[in-house]
Amino acid sequence: MSTTLNEQSRPAEQQLDIIDCDVHPVIRGGMRTLYDYMPTAWSKRFQAKSTELVSVAPLTLRFQHPNGSALRQDVHAPDGGPAGSDPAQVRQHLMVENGIGCALLNCLQPGALAAALSGPEESAVLCTASNDFFLDQWHLTGSGPLRLAMSVPVQDPEAAAAEIKRLGSNPAIAAISLPLLNILMGNRYYHPIYAAAQEYALPILVHVTGADCIYQGAPVAAGGWPENYNERYVDLSQIGEANLVSLVFSGVLERFPGLKIMFVEYGFAWAVPLLWRMDRTWRSLRHETPWVLKSPFDYVRDRIRFTTQPLDEPERRAELEQLIAMLGPELLLYSSDYPHWDNDMPGETLRTLPAETRRMIFADNAKKILRL
Amino acid sequence: MGPTTDTPIGEIEAFSIGKMHIVQAGGFEIGVVRHDDNSFHAIRNRCPHKGAPLCQGSFGGTMLPSAPSELHYGLEQTVVRCPWHGYEFDLATGQGLFSNENMRVRTFPVTVRDGIAYLTGLPTQARQRGEAA
Repeated sequence: MSTTLNEQSRPAEQQLDIIDCDVHPVIRGGMRTLYDYMPTAWSKRFQAKSTELVSVAPLTLRFQHPNGSALRQDVHAPDGGPAGSDPAQVRQHLMVENGIGCALLNCLQPGALAAALSGPEESAVLCTASNDFFLDQWHLTGSGPLRLAMSVPVQDPEAAAAEIKRLGSNPAIAAISLPLLNILMGNRYYHPIYAAAQEYALPILVHVTGADCIYQGAPVAAGGWPENYNERYVDLSQIGEANLVSLVFSGVLERFPGLKIMFVEYGFAWAVPLLWRMDRTWRSLRHETPWVLKSPFDYVRDRIRFTTQPLDEPERRAELEQLIAMLGPELLLYSSDYPHWDNDMPGETLRTLPAETRRMIFADNAKKILRL
Repeated sequence: MGPTTDTPIGEIEAFSIGKMHIVQAGGFEIGVVRHDDNSFHAIRNRCPHKGAPLCQGSFGGTMLPSAPSELHYGLEQTVVRCPWHGYEFDLATGQGLFSNENMRVRTFPVTVRDGIAYLTGLPTQARQRGEAA
């Protein structure tokens, strides 16, 4: 384990009591571990298929990480397992050493399976097993520092809604991690999931699943197929952009007035010009979508939040701070993305912002959207 | 504001009911609509957004704010829609409709005497300049 972060951690971070809205735990022991959390018939099926629970969706050679893995190479679990698989290590290495008081666990393993890698019935079993695994093995009760963004089998929206109803009252659940399909979020396909999320006052969290731009059924980038990891990595923000536009103009935010959405790891620098264009279009051609009752700016301010990682790094730092002021710091949520290679640790993130703005981004805003 | 005068714009029968007519008066281009009760409205033919000839767009109603997936048409004979960017304005008040921008187009009262429609409130000097142009 690296000690660098220890050295960089500052007392001021302890005062903030940071909420980290994107931490990626890994199911220790892989698929075999989940057998205990599913009916025997399904474990027999997965055994017969020699199913492996990969930590990141197989990216194919084209999109394989140039350094071999999206996981940090400096972190391994004490038992030699992958980074993110040991809860005590996550709490110490990520949280205690960086002043993070609360972390939202968002496991990408069931996400990729639900989005594309498994069939709909398989993913329903696997999402349930994964959710129960984390509640059980990570001792999530709703009173400790860890919360779960529960996984849902998006290929079967009714089953996803049923899973939300099964766990929605559990205080350890703070959000719903919705793995996106190549169906925009305003589409009525997702309505059963939104209705359940609204019923339990849980925000919908969307995040790249690893299946994006690779597998049929998963979201694609605009214009064509990226040719390497770098192109795909940059293009992934397009998925966030298209889905934000869809949410606003579809009227789904009017249809579900309690629905709140977190765009996680899609970036936010694109949001300002996108909102300008949405607002201009709404002012001109509102009558095509008369259910959009107010400016897109107002919907986003009321209902949408963006996480900070991966934070863009303009040559002049002040330009990023200006962009944050233009968007509104109340729309941003700190996220580390631990333990992935492109994580942003709090001590090195937005450190020159005014203290009050930092408090909003690192703690207060998250309290208003997560069900804590 | 300088002195104003009533400016005749024509016999009312020259204005077909419910249609936008554009007249020149007082140095302005003005869109004039005659209603079926022989009342009139007049609005400046210039969009405050980008300067387009506002009254050469469509005139009629629009889709009212509605629940998702529903359409409700209303405000018939009320809405002037710009031919460029589609901004909608209330014919009677000039106020921008359904917008987060507080835009307004100048409107002019119209009176009818002895079968002649008059625009009122036009500045005299502007009218004279307009006639000379």
